[in-house]
Amino acid sequence: MKTTAEPPDSPALVSLTQLLRAATAPPTAAALERGLNELRARYLAGRPGRRDIRRWGLVLVAASCLLAGGALWLFRSQPSPAERPVAVSSVEGGRLLDGGYLAESEGRGVKVQFNEGTEFVLAPGTRGRIRALGVDGAKFAIERGSATFRIVPSPDHQWSVEAGPFVVTVKGTDFTVDWDPSTERLHVSLRRGRVAISGPILSEQLVLRPGQKLSVNLPQAETLITEEQPGPTASAAATNASSSAPLPAPSLPPVSTPSGESQARSTAAASSERGWVKALANGQWDQILADVERDGVAPTLQAVSSAELFALADAARYRRRSDLARAALLAHRRRFPSSPRSTDATFLLGRTEEVAGSTKPQAIRWYDEYLVRAPTGRYAAEALGRKMSLLGELGQSDAARRAADDYLDRFPEGSYAGAARALVRSP
Amino acid sequence: MSSRSRAALSLVVADGHREVSDTELAGALMAGEDWALTETWQRFGPMVLMTAERTLGSRTESEDAAQETFIRVFRIVKRLREPARLRSFVYSVAVRTLRSHLRHRRLRAWLSFAAPESLVEAAHFTVDFESRARLRRFYALLDRLSARDRLVFVLRRVEEMSIEEIASTMGISASTVKRSLIHASERLSAWLDADTPVARSFQGRSRAP
Repeated sequence: MKTTAEPPDSPALVSLTQLLRAATAPPTAAALERGLNELRARYLAGRPGRRDIRRWGLVLVAASCLLAGGALWLFRSQPSPAERPVAVSSVEGGRLLDGGYLAESEGRGVKVQFNEGTEFVLAPGTRGRIRALGVDGAKFAIERGSATFRIVPSPDHQWSVEAGPFVVTVKGTDFTVDWDPSTERLHVSLRRGRVAISGPILSEQLVLRPGQKLSVNLPQAETLITEEQPGPTASAAATNASSSAPLPAPSLPPVSTPSGESQARSTAAASSERGWVKALANGQWDQILADVERDGVAPTLQAVSSAELFALADAARYRRRSDLARAALLAHRRRFPSSPRSTDATFLLGRTEEVAGSTKPQAIRWYDEYLVRAPTGRYAAEALGRKMSLLGELGQSDAARRAADDYLDRFPEGSYAGAARALVRSP
Repeated sequence: MSSRSRAALSLVVADGHREVSDTELAGALMAGEDWALTETWQRFGPMVLMTAERTLGSRTESEDAAQETFIRVFRIVKRLREPARLRSFVYSVAVRTLRSHLRHRRLRAWLSFAAPESLVEAAHFTVDFESRARLRRFYALLDRLSARDRLVFVLRRVEEMSIEEIASTMGISASTVKRSLIHASERLSAWLDADTPVARSFQGRSRAP
C-alpha cells in the first residue's frame, strides 16, 4: 500500500510493470523439489554435523596417525575418477569470469577443456556459463548461441546443458546445442552417444539417437526431428545449426499408396503390438514410420492399438508427416470414439492442420470441437488460445475479441493472456 | 538357536498435522533441526524465486540467487533476534543477495564488453511471444539502472511493497527509497518514450478501458 504521494509512471511503464508481474509463474513442484535437493547437497556439504563436531578430537588423532601413510599413498597413486571432481583444465580464446561466465577475448570462440577429457567449444558470439562443477559432473548453460560438446562417458559424472527453458541431459556423447533467445528456437544435433531433452512443449523427455537433429520453434510450438546426412564434421554441424533458418523439411519416402497395401495387410493385422510406444520414447521415429511403410498405411491404422496409433501420430508429427499424423488421429477417433485419447486427437488434429498449412478455418473447427468435448481438458487453454490467434490472423476482429474475453475469464494466467489483453484493448 | 528380542509394540496416535509457526521454525533452524531446512525452503522458496526472477529476468540466475539466499539464511539465522520475523529476515537476505547479483552482473558485462541485456533471458515467462519481446526490451532498460534503483523500483512497483517495508528490508532510510524510486521511474519513463519499438507497441493502449 502506498503511504506517500508518488509521481505517476508513464502509461507504457505501468503496462510493462503489470506485464512483468503477470508474466512470472510460480515455480512448479518439480522445480522446488530440484531446488531443495540442490540446496541440501550444497548446504550439508559445507556444514559439519554435530556428531562430527563431537568426534573431531578422535578424528584429529586418527588423522595425524594416518597422515604419513596417506601422504605416501597420495604420492604413489591417483584418485579414482569417481572421487575426482570435474574441473576446468584450460580455456582457450577467452577467460572464465566470476559466476562461471565465459568471456570471449579474440572473437573466434572459446574452447574449454576439463581434467577428465571432456571439452566444448563456444561458437563466436555465444554467451554461456558453467553453472556447477563437482564430483557428480557439471552443468553448463547457454544463454545465446551455439556450443559443440564432446563429453567423455563416465558412470560417475552427469553432464547437462541448459538452453533457455530446455535441458539436455547427456549420457556421454558428441553434440551441438544452439539456442537463440530472440526467436526462441532450439537446435540439438547429435553425432555420437545419446542425449535426452526436456522442456516446454515437449510433453515428455525426447531421446535423440546419433545422426538426429531436434529443432524446436517455441513461439509456433513446433517440434521437428530430422535425420542428418552422414559425413558432416562437428564444426560443420555447428555452423549448419542456424537459428534463423526455417525448419528443414524431412527427407522421408512418401507414404505407400493404397494399391500396395493389400500385400501387407496380413502382416499388420498379425502384429498388433509393435513396441512403438517404447520406440517413440527412445526417439526411434523413423523405425515407426518405416514399419508403416512396410506394412501399408490403411491396414496398419486398422490393426494397431490405441496407444500405438498415438505413438504413430506423434512420430509423424515430429517428422512433419502431416498426412500420416492426420490419418492416424482420424483413425483413432473412428476406432476408439469413447477413448479420452480421441478427445486429445481432436486438438492435435487442429495443430496438425496448422503445421500442414491447411486452411485456418479447418483448424478452428477442430479446436471448437475440442472445446465442446473437453471444456476443462488439458489442451483447453491452448485450443482457445490458438483459436483466438487464428481468428485474429483471419481478420475476424470481433470473433477474436470474444475468444480473448473468454480466454481471460477462463485462463487469466495462461500463456495467451498477454495476447488476449492486447486484443481486448485494441480499438 | 537364535534369540529374538520381543519388545512390546504399542499403538500411538500421531499428532494431527499442524502448521508450524515462523517462530517455531526459526527456533528449529537455530537448533540445526534437519526438517527445518526443508520447511524453510518450501515455505519461502516460491517467494524468493519469484522475486529473484522478476528482478533478474533470468531463471537460471534466480535459481542460483535463491540457493545463495537460503544458504546464507541457514548460516546466519542465529543472529535473528525476533524469531517471529523470520519471513522478513529471509526476504532481507534475498534482497541483499539480489543486489549483489545485480552488481556482479554489471561488473561481468563491463569486463566482458557485452551488453548487459545479453544476460537477460525471458523465454520462461508465461506470456505470448510479443509480450516476451517487450519484456526483454524492458529488462534492457532496467539493466541501465543502478542496482539500488532497480531493486527499489521492482520491490515497489512489481512486488507492491510499501516504502517503509522496502526501507526496512534494504536497510536504508525511507527518504532514500523515495528518491531512488522517483529517479528510477523518471529515467525508465524517459527511456521508454525514446524507445520507438516499445512506445509503438503501447500506442492505443493508454486509451484502454
